[in-house]
Amino acid sequence: MASLSAQQLAANRGRLFKDRAARYGVTLGGVMVLVALLLIFFYLLYVVQPIFESVSLKEEQSFSLSNSEDVEALGMEEQAEIGYRLMESGKFEFFALADKPIVNRKAGEIIDSKEVVSADKITSFASTLPVNKQYAYGLNDGTAIVAEPKFKVSFAEDPQTGALERTITPRVELLNNGEPLVVDESGQALEKLAYESDGDTMMFAAVQGGNNLLITKYAAEENFMTGETTLKPVFHKVTLNGTIDDLIVTPDLRQVMARRGNRIHVFDVGVSGQVTERELMLVNAREQGNATGLYLLAGASSILVTHDTGLVTQWFQVSTDEGRQYQYIRSFDAGSPVKDIEVEYYRRTFYTVSENGQLGIFYTTSEADLYRGNPLETSLEHVMVDPRANYLIMQSGDRFSVFDIKNEHPEVTWSAMWQEVWYEGYPEPDYTWQSTSGSDDFESKYSLVPIAFGTIKAAAYAMLFAVPIGLAAAVYTAYFMSPSVRKYVKPTVEIMEALPTVILGFLAGLWLAPIIERYLPGLIAVLLLVPAAIILTAFLWSRLPSHIRNTVTDGRAALLLIPIVILVGWLSFGLSPWVEQVLFDGNVRGYLTNELGITFDQRNSLVVGIAMGFAVIPTIFSIAEDAVFSVPKHLSNGSLALGATPWQTLTKVVLLTASPGIFSAVMMGLGRAVGETMIVLMATGNTPIMDWNIFEGMRTLSANIAVEMPESEVGSSHYRILFLAAFVLFIFTFFFNTIAEFVRQRLRDKYSSM
Amino acid sequence: MISVNPSTNNLEKLDLHNLPAEQTALDIKNLNLYYGEDQALHDISMRIPNNRVTAFIGPSGCGKSTLLRCINRMNDLVEICRIDGQIDMHGHNIYDKNVDVAALRRRVGMVFQRPNPFPKSIYENVVYGLRLQGVKDKRVLDEAVETSLRGAALWDEVKDRLNASAFSLSGGQQQRVVIARSIAIEPEILLLDEPTSALDPISTLTIEELITELKEKYTVVIVTHNMQQAARVSDQTAFLYMGKLIEYADTDTLFTTPSEKQTEDYITGRYG
Repeated sequence: MASLSAQQLAANRGRLFKDRAARYGVTLGGVMVLVALLLIFFYLLYVVQPIFESVSLKEEQSFSLSNSEDVEALGMEEQAEIGYRLMESGKFEFFALADKPIVNRKAGEIIDSKEVVSADKITSFASTLPVNKQYAYGLNDGTAIVAEPKFKVSFAEDPQTGALERTITPRVELLNNGEPLVVDESGQALEKLAYESDGDTMMFAAVQGGNNLLITKYAAEENFMTGETTLKPVFHKVTLNGTIDDLIVTPDLRQVMARRGNRIHVFDVGVSGQVTERELMLVNAREQGNATGLYLLAGASSILVTHDTGLVTQWFQVSTDEGRQYQYIRSFDAGSPVKDIEVEYYRRTFYTVSENGQLGIFYTTSEADLYRGNPLETSLEHVMVDPRANYLIMQSGDRFSVFDIKNEHPEVTWSAMWQEVWYEGYPEPDYTWQSTSGSDDFESKYSLVPIAFGTIKAAAYAMLFAVPIGLAAAVYTAYFMSPSVRKYVKPTVEIMEALPTVILGFLAGLWLAPIIERYLPGLIAVLLLVPAAIILTAFLWSRLPSHIRNTVTDGRAALLLIPIVILVGWLSFGLSPWVEQVLFDGNVRGYLTNELGITFDQRNSLVVGIAMGFAVIPTIFSIAEDAVFSVPKHLSNGSLALGATPWQTLTKVVLLTASPGIFSAVMMGLGRAVGETMIVLMATGNTPIMDWNIFEGMRTLSANIAVEMPESEVGSSHYRILFLAAFVLFIFTFFFNTIAEFVRQRLRDKYSSM
Repeated sequence: MISVNPSTNNLEKLDLHNLPAEQTALDIKNLNLYYGEDQALHDISMRIPNNRVTAFIGPSGCGKSTLLRCINRMNDLVEICRIDGQIDMHGHNIYDKNVDVAALRRRVGMVFQRPNPFPKSIYENVVYGLRLQGVKDKRVLDEAVETSLRGAALWDEVKDRLNASAFSLSGGQQQRVVIARSIAIEPEILLLDEPTSALDPISTLTIEELITELKEKYTVVIVTHNMQQAARVSDQTAFLYMGKLIEYADTDTLFTTPSEKQTEDYITGRYG
C-alpha cells in the first residue's frame, strides 16, 4: 500500500516537473521577447542620445607666455600639439600645447619664433578663413607680406621604449619668397587689409586714405619657356563716400565686402580682376543695433555682422527677382557686444568673444546657442579652434589655456529636424534632407520631415490600393465563397505573403514601372473599368432567369468574373496606345507635364502603391478573412432566419461583429506598409520630396536607413540621425500597433462577447 | 412517468393523417434529404396543424433538427445538402424555383438552441427584422418592440433599459429577446430548435409557459431533447429515428400508448 502511493507520488512528481518546466519555459520566452524589444529601444536611444548633448569644455593645459598683450591671431595645427600666434610686432611664434618628453618639449615652451616683418612698417593685418591658414601684414609702403605656418610630421624612435613617436616640426613660410606684394600702386600705407587665396591666385582688399577701396588680384603666370612662375597683379580702386570700417574677401575671390557703418558694399570681382558694385545692404534695418564688425562663416556663403546690442546677425545670398541678393536670415544673442568672432574650419559653428570677456559658441543653421559664459577666471581676449574642432585655445593676458571641447553634433537640434530650416543659398526656409555631397564645406541637411512624410505617403498609397482589395477579398472568401473553393484560395493568397519583398521591389522597379509609364491610360482604365465591369456583371447576373443562375451555386458564381476581369484588363491595355494617340497626342507624359503641370517620374507612388499594396494585401486578407470567418454561425443564421438576405446579414451583423478583427487587419497592414523597405527602396526613386503627387516618388524612413547607413561614418551626426530615423520608425510602428490593439479591445468588448 | 400537459387534453384531437387543408400549416410530402452521399431524412410525410405546438423528438442525430431546418430552408446554407420531395405551405411548395427564400423566412421564424442576440441593444435586436423590411417609422418600431417583448414575456423586465446591450441580459432573457425578435415580424410559423437546452430550469419554465401562449397566434414547431418538455408543451409529437419518421401522434397518445416498439423504447429510456 505504502509502495503504491509512493509510486503514484513519483509519477506525480515527474508530471509536476514537466508542468513547471513548461511554465517557466514559456514565461522565460515571453520575458526574453520583451527584453529584446527593450534592448532595441534602449540601444537606439543610446546611439541617438549624444546628438542632444550640450557642449562641454574641459581644461587640459594652462601656461603663461610673456609679451602677450599684442596678439593679432592665434592658431593650432591639426593634432593640437603646437599652437602659434601672430603679433602686432610682426613676430610669428610657435609654442607647444602639450608636454612632449621625446623632444624635451614642455607645454608653453616657445619652439620657434620668426620676425616676418619689422614692427615699425606694419599698418594692418589680415587673416584668411581658418581653412586656408594664411596671414597677411599690410605695410606702410602700400605692400603686403603673406606668411603661412607649415608643419612637418616625422617619427622618431623613443630611446627607452623603442616605439616610434610622432614629432611635429613647425616653420613659417613666406609667400613670394618673402618679397612684399604691391597692393597700392601709389605706395601709400594700407590702413585696413583683407586677404584670401585659392592656391594659385591671391586677392587683397585694402583701405587707403579712409575711403579708398583697393582691390588687387595676383594670378600666377607660368613662363612656358623657362617654366618659372611669376605673380602678376591686377589693380582696382573704388572710392566710397565714407570711412571704411571692415573688409572681407571671399575665398573664391569673387566678392569683396566693405562695411561702412551700417552699410555693406558688395563688389563682384571678375576672373580677370574687373570690379563691379553688386549691392548695398543696410544691416541695422531690423533694430539689431549699429554694426560693429563683419566676418565670413565657414563655407563663405554667409556673412556674420556683429552689432553693438550684443546681437550677431547672419546674412546670405537668396534668389530674388533682382538676382541673388544678401538677405537677413537670423540673429544670435551673445549677451554683450561682440569684439571678435572666430569660425570653425568646416562646420557652421562660430565662437564669439564679448566685450565683457565672455565666450559664446553658436551654430548658425540650427540656431543653436551652444555655450555662453567664461571658462577662465579672467576676462577672455582671444580664442581659436583646432582644425578638427576638438580643442580650443583661449588667451587671457599672458595666460593661455587649452580646452577639450565636446561639440560633436551642433547642427542637430530638435527644431532643425522637425521644423523648416533656412539653409544657405535656399530661397526660403524648407524641410530638406540632403545628407552628403562632394565638397567639404557642404552643410548636411537633416530634416526628418520629408522622409517621415515619404513613409506616410508610401503607406497611404499602398493602403489605398490594398485595403479595398484585401477587405473585399477577405469578406467574399470568408462569407460568400463555397468552402471547396475557399480551401484553395486562402492558402494561395497567404503564400503571397511569403514572397520576398526584394523580388516584389525588383519587379516593381524594373518591370512594372516601365509598363505603367508606357500604358498609363491603360492602367488608369483598368483601375476604373475593372470594378465597374465587376459590378455590371453582378447586376446582369442577378437579372438572368433563375434557372440559369441556379446552375451555378452561389459560392462559385465569382469564378465567372475571372474571364470578365481578364477581358477588361486586356482590352484596357490593348486600347491604351490607341487612346493615348487619340486623346493625348500620343504622349501622356508630355500631356501631364505640359498641360496639367504634373511632374511624372517613372518610379512613382503609383508603382509603389501597387507593389507594396500587393505585399500588404495578404496581411490584410489573412487577418480580416479569419475575423469574418470566425463570426459565429448562429449569429448570421439568426439574421438569415429573420428574412435577411445574405447581403443584409453581412452588412448588419457579420461586419459589425468582425469589426475588431477587420480593424486590426488594416492596422497590421499599415504597420507593414510603414516598415516596408525593399519595395520602396527599389521602386520609388528615393527622392526626399514633400508632395502628394501620385506620379512622383518619395523617400521613406526605412529606405533612407537602408540607402545611407552603409556609407555613414560611425559616430557622425549622420549616423546618429539615421539611428534616430530608425527610432522614429520604431515609434511609428509602435504607435500604430498600440492604437490598433487599443481600438480592437474596445470594439471587441462592444461587439463580440459571444 | 411522463405527465402530459393537461391543457393539451382540452384541445380537440385531430386526425393527423387526414388533416383538412384549412387546418394544415405545413404539408411535408415525401421529403428526402442528403448530405453528399449520406441520406439524412428518409421519405418524411406529415401534416403540421396550425395554431398548435408540434414537437419533434428523437435521439441525437436522428434528423429532427434537419427536418426543422427544412421548413425555413436553412439547409440551403449547407453546400453539400440536397433535397427532394416537397413542403407545401398554403398549397405552395416552398422548394419551388421561384420562391424567395428571404420572404419565406420572414413567414417562418426560427429560434436557435443557443441564445443568439446580435451585438446591439435590446431595442435594435427586436426591430432588426422590421428594419430589414425598410420600416423606419419610429412609432411603428416602438409599438412593435413593446408588443413583441410583451409577447415574449420580457417587457416588464427590460422596459427601462431597452438601449442596453442585449448581452447584458441573462441567458433566459436573451432567449426571450430572440423570441421577441422573431415574433416582431409576425411570422405564421415559429420554429424552435431546442430553445431551452442552454438555459437553467427557471428560465426553461418561463420559456415553456411562453410557448403555450404563443400557439394562440402562431403555429409552433419545437425540437427538443427533453421528452418531459415535449410532453409539457406540445399538442402532437413526432418521433424520428435514424432519419425516418417512426410515429406521429397526439402527444398524450404517443407518450401513453405508443404504437411503435421503437417509440416505446425511446420514451421509456432504453436508448437515446
